[in-house]
Amino acid sequence: MVIVENLTKIFKLSRQQKREMGEGFVGNTVDAVRDISFTCQPGRVFALLGPNGAGKTTTLRLIATMLKPTSGSISVAGFDTVQQSQDVRTNLGFLTGNTGLYDRLTPNEMVKYFADLHGLDRATFETQRDHFFRLLDMEEFANRRIGKLSTGMRQKVSIVRTIIHDPDVIVFDEPTNGLDVVTSRNIVRLIRDCKEAGKTVIFSTHRMGEVSLLSDDLAIVHQGKLCYNGTFEDFQDQMQTPSLEDEFIRLVEEESGQILKD
Amino acid sequence: MNPAWIIFCKELKDTLRDRRTIITMVLIPLLLFPVLMTIVTKVTSSQTKKAQEKTIKVGLIAQNNAAAFRDILLNRDDMEIHEDIAIEDIESMIKEDKLDAVIRIDAQFDQQVADQKSGDIHLHFKSSKDLNVTRRRLTPLINDYEEQLVTDRFDRLYLDRNIGDAIKTHRHDVASDQEKFGKAVGGFLPYMFIIFCFMGCMYPAIDLGAGEKERGTLETLLASPASRFQILLGKFGVVALAGLTSTCLTFIGIFVAVSQHREIVEKLTDVIGSLLAPANIAISISLLLPLTIFFAAALLAISIFAKSFKEAQSLMTPLNLFIILPVFVGLLPGIELTSLTALIPVLNVSLATKEVLAGTITMPLLLEVYASLILLAGLSLFFCAKWFDRESVIFRES
Repeated sequence: MVIVENLTKIFKLSRQQKREMGEGFVGNTVDAVRDISFTCQPGRVFALLGPNGAGKTTTLRLIATMLKPTSGSISVAGFDTVQQSQDVRTNLGFLTGNTGLYDRLTPNEMVKYFADLHGLDRATFETQRDHFFRLLDMEEFANRRIGKLSTGMRQKVSIVRTIIHDPDVIVFDEPTNGLDVVTSRNIVRLIRDCKEAGKTVIFSTHRMGEVSLLSDDLAIVHQGKLCYNGTFEDFQDQMQTPSLEDEFIRLVEEESGQILKD
Repeated sequence: MNPAWIIFCKELKDTLRDRRTIITMVLIPLLLFPVLMTIVTKVTSSQTKKAQEKTIKVGLIAQNNAAAFRDILLNRDDMEIHEDIAIEDIESMIKEDKLDAVIRIDAQFDQQVADQKSGDIHLHFKSSKDLNVTRRRLTPLINDYEEQLVTDRFDRLYLDRNIGDAIKTHRHDVASDQEKFGKAVGGFLPYMFIIFCFMGCMYPAIDLGAGEKERGTLETLLASPASRFQILLGKFGVVALAGLTSTCLTFIGIFVAVSQHREIVEKLTDVIGSLLAPANIAISISLLLPLTIFFAAALLAISIFAKSFKEAQSLMTPLNLFIILPVFVGLLPGIELTSLTALIPVLNVSLATKEVLAGTITMPLLLEVYASLILLAGLSLFFCAKWFDRESVIFRES
């Protein structure tokens, strides 16, 4: 389970970053995430939806302990991300759409590396690896250098790297970003498999289609603030526009107006 | 297994598979000196031999003087004497390679000699040609002729030729060969070691810091159970090892180069060989060890800050200057290892290595150098760890 409570993340801007924000920008800080709270349950898929720059990646990085919250707290699998960050990471799998791999390693070596970092013993590693390599049809290229693999093959390596240690919580940051339809399907299948296995799954996206396809619960973020938090079913019931896409845009625009008023 | 060790092993494997790193870390330090020395000695000796063996074309303007000297020149098989030269054509003929040199004897030469004065002989040559061998072949002939004239003068005066030598200086240098060559060559050797140590660290540092950011692998590593410090330690270990390997291979490269070319100047190669004695190498490497830690930490900090491989390279290039400058200062005459220079990073290694190779190092100064270097290494590693912990550095691109 992941519990996010009153989470706020404020970034201090460098001079160059302030310049990049434009002339209208006043102040030295930017609120990437402002006082957001949500809970992700085991066996359910939680979608974090929002336009680019909404604060999705920051939220996921905070969950994965890569960033420290300015205020608020996050609990992952019962561990606090600040006080017990190592325990959090031990129980977490993290995958992004543009996840890089080490081109000079083989899929076998890559997966072994992360298994070792997660403290898997040899026998468990071999059982897990053989299982996933068979499942994803990876045996043929398991000992080929990653740099020579296709995008689809590479994505499979990323998937196994993420779940080799059988984590309780899996975080996907825009996992299908830049991937073709076939490769994206692997991710969708993985997310469903994780859900069926009782894992807590969080994924961020800016595509409404992916949300309707996968999510049980939904949070919409815009400019660091939460616009909606509830089940996907409730979201559909409360819709004031004919399509999911339109509803998402309506909510975002409403929130923008609110922010401008504030 | 400790995560730092796992990361170290993985990074080492990854680094050893990188062609660019292998070239800068292994091939260049190992092969540069043997190859360079082979090329230089082969080309130099072949050019010198060619210049010494070839028949040189010498213009002679004797103006009916120095008949004996003219005979000497005309009787030589290794020279082609041309006497039909106009004085105003001398320069152009040498410049256009029609002649290798011209010997012009002053019109008053015989008279000057007869009057017990100095007779003037002008030797025209092009020093930039044939490693100056032409001049070196003609000068002894002129000197021999002069000696003959001086001896004749003494004979005419019924004096012993040796009376002309009022002072005979006997030089007794108390400096050992190791000291003499250590001070000279010892300045150049640390220059090479420090530069190669820096270069050896550079590529792995870029690859393991900015490269990892660029590839998008850093995020996955940060999401692993390894702590930031363990990640840094694993990476730092590989960068430092690369720098140290590079330095050791430079030692080996120089040793191989020197052993292969004993025929050139045997005494010099013997001395260089003794400079590279195991004890000297051990002390030099122990001096370079903390410096390597400093380089590795500093370069890794820059690399982690950079958004891309390219940015890391451009940030590191000016740093070269800060390395080359103190090392270069160490090469200057009069710059010695003192309690003050022992505190200046890089320069202190350069000067201390020079003293070690010359066998003149004193223990208090050596300890001061070690203390200053260890402090610097510790501070740089501490700073690098703090730097790696900063969100604004790790996620600078966003």
